[in-house]
Amino acid sequence: MTLLNAEDITVSQGGTPILHPVSLHLEPGEPLVILGETGSGKSLLAQAIMGTLPRDLTARGRVALGDHLLDAARPNGFRPLWGRQIAVLPQEPWLSLDPLMRASGQVAEAHRLVRGLGKGEARAQATSDLDRLGLSGAGARYPHELSGGMAQRVAIAAARAGGARVVIADEPTKGLDAARRDEVADLLLAELARGGGLLVITHDLALARRVGGRMIVLREGRVVETGATASVMGAPTQAYTRDLIAADPENWALRTPAAPGAPVLTATGLAADRGGARLFSGLSFDLAEGRILGVTGPSGCGKSTLGDVVLGLLRASEGRVDKAKGLTATAFQKLYQDPVAAFPRHRTLEPTLLDVARRHGQSQARIDALMPRLGLAPVLLTRRPDAVSGGELQRLALLRLLLVRPKFIFADEPTSRLDPITQKQVIDLLCDMAETEGCAIMLVSHDPALVARTADHVLSLGPDAANVDVTPPRVARALQ
Amino acid sequence: MSDAVMIPRPAGHATRWIGATLVATVLVFSLIGPLAVPGDPFAQSLMKALSGPEPGAPLGYDHLGRSIFHRLAHALRLSPAIAIAAVLSAGLAGLVLGTVAAARGGWTDRILTTLADALLALPGLLLVLIVLAILPGTAFGFWAGLSLVLWVEFFRLTRAATREVLVSPAVQATRLLGFGPIYIFRTHIWPEIAPMMLTAAAFGTATAIMAIAALGFVHVGMRAPTPELGLMMVELLPYWREAPMALLSPVIATFALLLSLTLLAGSRET
Repeated sequence: MTLLNAEDITVSQGGTPILHPVSLHLEPGEPLVILGETGSGKSLLAQAIMGTLPRDLTARGRVALGDHLLDAARPNGFRPLWGRQIAVLPQEPWLSLDPLMRASGQVAEAHRLVRGLGKGEARAQATSDLDRLGLSGAGARYPHELSGGMAQRVAIAAARAGGARVVIADEPTKGLDAARRDEVADLLLAELARGGGLLVITHDLALARRVGGRMIVLREGRVVETGATASVMGAPTQAYTRDLIAADPENWALRTPAAPGAPVLTATGLAADRGGARLFSGLSFDLAEGRILGVTGPSGCGKSTLGDVVLGLLRASEGRVDKAKGLTATAFQKLYQDPVAAFPRHRTLEPTLLDVARRHGQSQARIDALMPRLGLAPVLLTRRPDAVSGGELQRLALLRLLLVRPKFIFADEPTSRLDPITQKQVIDLLCDMAETEGCAIMLVSHDPALVARTADHVLSLGPDAANVDVTPPRVARALQ
Repeated sequence: MSDAVMIPRPAGHATRWIGATLVATVLVFSLIGPLAVPGDPFAQSLMKALSGPEPGAPLGYDHLGRSIFHRLAHALRLSPAIAIAAVLSAGLAGLVLGTVAAARGGWTDRILTTLADALLALPGLLLVLIVLAILPGTAFGFWAGLSLVLWVEFFRLTRAATREVLVSPAVQATRLLGFGPIYIFRTHIWPEIAPMMLTAAAFGTATAIMAIAALGFVHVGMRAPTPELGLMMVELLPYWREAPMALLSPVIATFALLLSLTLLAGSRET
């Protein structure tokens, strides 16, 4: 029996269609993945199916949920089914739990109010739900006492408590690192195995691969490709899908390491603290022209701090950074995670770049020559930073760095806000810069696959076991 | 893009236009009025005391037979001139000290902030009175006293906004690219604080005009026979029954001036 059948769902804003007709159906035990970049309309599709679109958007189409027939144009009809037939797994669940309520209480509340169980029964049911998800004994804890993964499981238990058979997970891995991402995928699949439907909306290819089932690829509000996830990802028939899959860091070709040039800097026994806690210690490495040092680790492990210490923006608690002799003060540069925040926001880009060029003795002609090399249209220069897309602005930030002719660039998660295709363009340009400009690069990323395929050597920071990798002898060996 | 709901402000433009028109009207009256109708604000003619309008005195005469039209025009030059001079010097001082406090931090910041807080704890009018008593010359005293009161607001605004701007990645990037503090002020700090400073300047001018009028009204500001808004009101107050229009003229003029400045200041989105 089909759990969910949506036909010809369209979404429009004031008469302009922003999602073209999409049909989908969800079978028990078979997950459906909707894959697309930011702005592809994948979240709108989910909202249209649930009847939760923002007011200024109108949906059309028919939705069959179990034995209920609904009209997407009338979202009020969906309301009684929320939690009972269709449940949504919130993005970043640790933010959607009630911080003042114990875990078991949050699940029991859903059993009592949505499913209508009695107080004692709801409590017993909540305890058994949490036991089943491996959270025995954690029921009395408050959300801040739960780890991210535990919070996610509590959120799943609460979302499923109403007895909904269809679960929609909208970007369930947003902001997670690789290990946590797989954990979430396994958890979703385990729930699916109990019978029910799972709709996963994501731009994360690794998550899509792990969830499997069937797949719909969306781009600019249109379906590009559909089919079994394994076959779409293994042998995509459309050019866009091919590009999207090729842009996944897992599928990148290994970079051929350049021959190291003159040394740029040597770091010896670096250590740094934040708020009284030691982030890392005993870090030693050196970097030469044309080399890329990858730095990975979970968030909060001190990756950015390390970069700022090397740049001289922060003082190290221990150890020292020696810059090669003869380098100017501006030879050390930084590429920011959020390019919009790295430009003066009240000026158009042209005067900003011209000032940099002039400061470093170059002319407008150099900017004009670099623009096509970075694939940038001249019209972008007449805009303000917030009117340029993230990928273009990050390339403009690279252009700004090229004007300075730096010898070292600290790239702090430069692509974490970009979609995969743009991410690949930016990283390729960065590698190209290392080679052609003879620039040493320290590339920070939370994505181990990206770092593994880009960097000449890798530093992994992090607590516990991962820290073993960064003891000086091992790093020294890795650098040889 | 943030999820913040944009609150439509269709009234903003209209408010600004009304404010600007009112300011322009007051300016035209005070600057061009006496040229169109020549006359002396100090010339007395007791025969004409409290008499009604006539071609040489379009607003009639006060209790000493002086043309209210010419006295008002004179007053409307004096108060705004002192107020604008005070706002300019206070704004400049606040801007410089606020930027320095934010950029230097440490002891510089602590000393300047303590000084500003200490001044804030004193009633503004009291401070102006003290300065008036010390310094010779009433107009000069007003300028100095008002500057001393008004700079605190500019200082606090500048310091708060500059601190925020200085720790932003944009400023860090600009520093790494090799630019100095003047460039950072010009491209990052000034565009951020300019709209706030203009709003604060409009409010500050209104506050200063109000203070001059208030002190004039209680006879501790400008001295007679200088035509001044507050002084004119209190002089004409005993004759409100015989010459209500004579009393209302300075009241309406003051009200229009303060309203226009407040409208100008309030219409700006900061």
